[in-house]
Amino acid sequence: MIETDRDNSFDPKCVQGNILRGYHYARVRHLVLEVVNAALARRWLSQATDGSGAAPAITTEEEWLIKPASCFNLGFTYDGLKALGVPNASLASFAPEFKAGIARRAVKINDVGESAPENWASPFDTPDRVHIIASVYAEELEELDRVERQVADGLGGDGFAILGRHDGWNFDTDHVHFGYRDSMSQPRFVGVHDSDSYPDKQPLVPIGSMLIGYPTEYQNIRYAVPQPDALGRDGAFNAFRILKQDCAAFERYLDMAADSLLDDQLGEELLPVGDEAKFGPDTSRHAALREIIAAKMCGRWRNGVPLELSPDTPCPPEPVSPTDYDYGDDVRCPFGSHMRRCNPRGSTIVQRAARHTRRLVRRGYPYGGRYDPGKPDDEERGLLGNFICASLAGQFEAMMCDWLNLGLQDPRITGSNDPLLGANEAETSWFAIPLKSGRVIKLRGFPRFVTVRGGAYTFLASIPAIRYIANLER
Amino acid sequence: MSVRRRMNQLVPRRASLNDLVNSMSKSRLFGWLAGHVLVPYWARKTPVHKQPGGARATVQPGDNVQRMMNLILPLKDKTAVGRAKAAMAIASNLDEIYAGLDNVGTVHFARFVIIENNMCMISCYDGDFSNYIRDFVAQLGTVFDSVIALIEDGEAMIPTRDNIDTFINWVHDRDVYQIPDTATELLHYGTIGQPAVKSGEVADLRLIARALILQLHANPNALLGSGYRGYPGISAARIRDKMGFGW
Ligand code: HEM
Repeated sequence: MIETDRDNSFDPKCVQGNILRGYHYARVRHLVLEVVNAALARRWLSQATDGSGAAPAITTEEEWLIKPASCFNLGFTYDGLKALGVPNASLASFAPEFKAGIARRAVKINDVGESAPENWASPFDTPDRVHIIASVYAEELEELDRVERQVADGLGGDGFAILGRHDGWNFDTDHVHFGYRDSMSQPRFVGVHDSDSYPDKQPLVPIGSMLIGYPTEYQNIRYAVPQPDALGRDGAFNAFRILKQDCAAFERYLDMAADSLLDDQLGEELLPVGDEAKFGPDTSRHAALREIIAAKMCGRWRNGVPLELSPDTPCPPEPVSPTDYDYGDDVRCPFGSHMRRCNPRGSTIVQRAARHTRRLVRRGYPYGGRYDPGKPDDEERGLLGNFICASLAGQFEAMMCDWLNLGLQDPRITGSNDPLLGANEAETSWFAIPLKSGRVIKLRGFPRFVTVRGGAYTFLASIPAIRYIANLER
Repeated sequence: MSVRRRMNQLVPRRASLNDLVNSMSKSRLFGWLAGHVLVPYWARKTPVHKQPGGARATVQPGDNVQRMMNLILPLKDKTAVGRAKAAMAIASNLDEIYAGLDNVGTVHFARFVIIENNMCMISCYDGDFSNYIRDFVAQLGTVFDSVIALIEDGEAMIPTRDNIDTFINWVHDRDVYQIPDTATELLHYGTIGQPAVKSGEVADLRLIARALILQLHANPNALLGSGYRGYPGISAARIRDKMGFGW
């Protein structure tokens, strides 16, 4: 539950509720809407902001005493704002990357090859028609259906065409495909007390890193507020991504890498003979090596225990905090691991000026059924990810192009991509696992495990902004 | 005189027609006409997309380090006094500028040069352009504004830190267009109203010269190719690490 300091100048009832807190429902449904009748769509938006009429009411940041059966939030693309009649002068005041839209930024964020926008699934293959992502969060499928009907009936049905429907669900509490526990690390904000958040050693994040119109981590710079203020302030930007995960390839690679380390000197340093017992009774050497490789690639053991606090075993004798640590050398957690790439925390990075500035709120749900390695199948599965920030260029894209791919933040990983989701090719990929002796295991030959299937840059407009749009006349 | 005889006198024989055409490219008159009349006319008839400046987005790690920036910023005051002011603005802030570049951490070299009433900022950096500029401005705060104040259209950007995205765009617009390393890439840009050649399609190579001329009409300044790299693919930090400078 979130409380805000009285001196924190944003008003919780003006801010959409899916930015600063996680709702922790079991299910999500993202509806992709195209505006087909702007006047009706605007009237529907007006209903959604005050809960009048048939439209579902937008959930705000206000504290709730009883958790509602569902929450409802809206993200607008640039084309969506245009279709709703936002005047040109306002449209022009948005950040360039939002105006371009995610598909036109593909090369920058390495959405290339199979992940390129021309290969995206419907409706993201026609990005200009993707106007609004309406997200419903609930415990039960029936509730998702009910809210969807609420969108489709009444004014919404005539104002919008529903182009697509993307369901996600927590099939195993917080675990995602590839078997990792997720949803622990999130930025903690100055003046916002979120009892759900885990403590960590990072400086609290100024609210301006997520909400537009406030000071950011960069002491000296501000991101422009889209104009007028009523439209721009208290909004946030979101990179919505449909990320397909190739679980079979991932598990196969773990097998292969573990095979190569069996009966190998470096493998013996990584897992001293006898240490298999630290992984649970009867764990084979091969199985333990697989888990070590999976952990090194991510920065956490698959059960969520951080490598930095428990480098040798996923089951430390004394429980450790999931988040309260800073990084030391790379023997515990490799510089190139997914988590350390995305958030180097307090450790030194090449871009000293960028330290602590590229933070993202992550709200993701897995989609598709749980993968059973015993019964490989062709079902598509992956992650429906929302990556939220005040500047897509300064945070999301900066992370994607300099850190996740390229690895500019540390000269020891430059030229390599994120092992879990980077734009890897088996011929050139590498991932280094440093050992205590100073020797290094260099894993090679892994493909791209995560493929982009679609996405959109959206603006999570404030409630006054949605009212402003609703009241436009044109 | 019969019409036929008159024609024979006016129209040279075939061999001399070839000579005439061949000599045109060397003729000063034709050169002048081509540059001042033909190309502007041609550019109006088939306008090309003015390509943005600076290093192109690419996914090759080797192309994403050691990228070239060549900013040409026209001075407002185009007299020796104006040039001196610009020199002073840089000189009096040099320590802060260098410290700022050090903290950006991805810069190999940077220099400030006055060329014909332009303040030129030339550097070689790693990674994404906007990250580089954002981190630089974040370090320098208002220091850099005193330089930008001397540049044409610079005033609207001040204070640069309050308008960071617009400022990054403004700088990007003034980064010199980089002619691609492979000439056929030029053909993928296309002209306005006409789709570009899609990758995979066979490009008509005869159109390269035309595409280049029209692009250089739209973009008078150009960097020819991505530039020579003495140690390709190596980031500034890797050099510093290896040489023991620390990064
Ligand atoms: C299918 C794709 C992905 C998978 C399977 C995945 C998996 C994970 C896991 C297991 C964690 C650790 C859980 C936690 O600390 O809460 C994590 C953390 C994180 N991921 Fe991802 N991720 C994916 C995509 C992305 C993308 C696209 C980005 C960036 C744009 C990203 C950014 C982050 C960040 C910032 C953290 C937190 C790091 C920290 O604060 O220490 N992830 N991810």
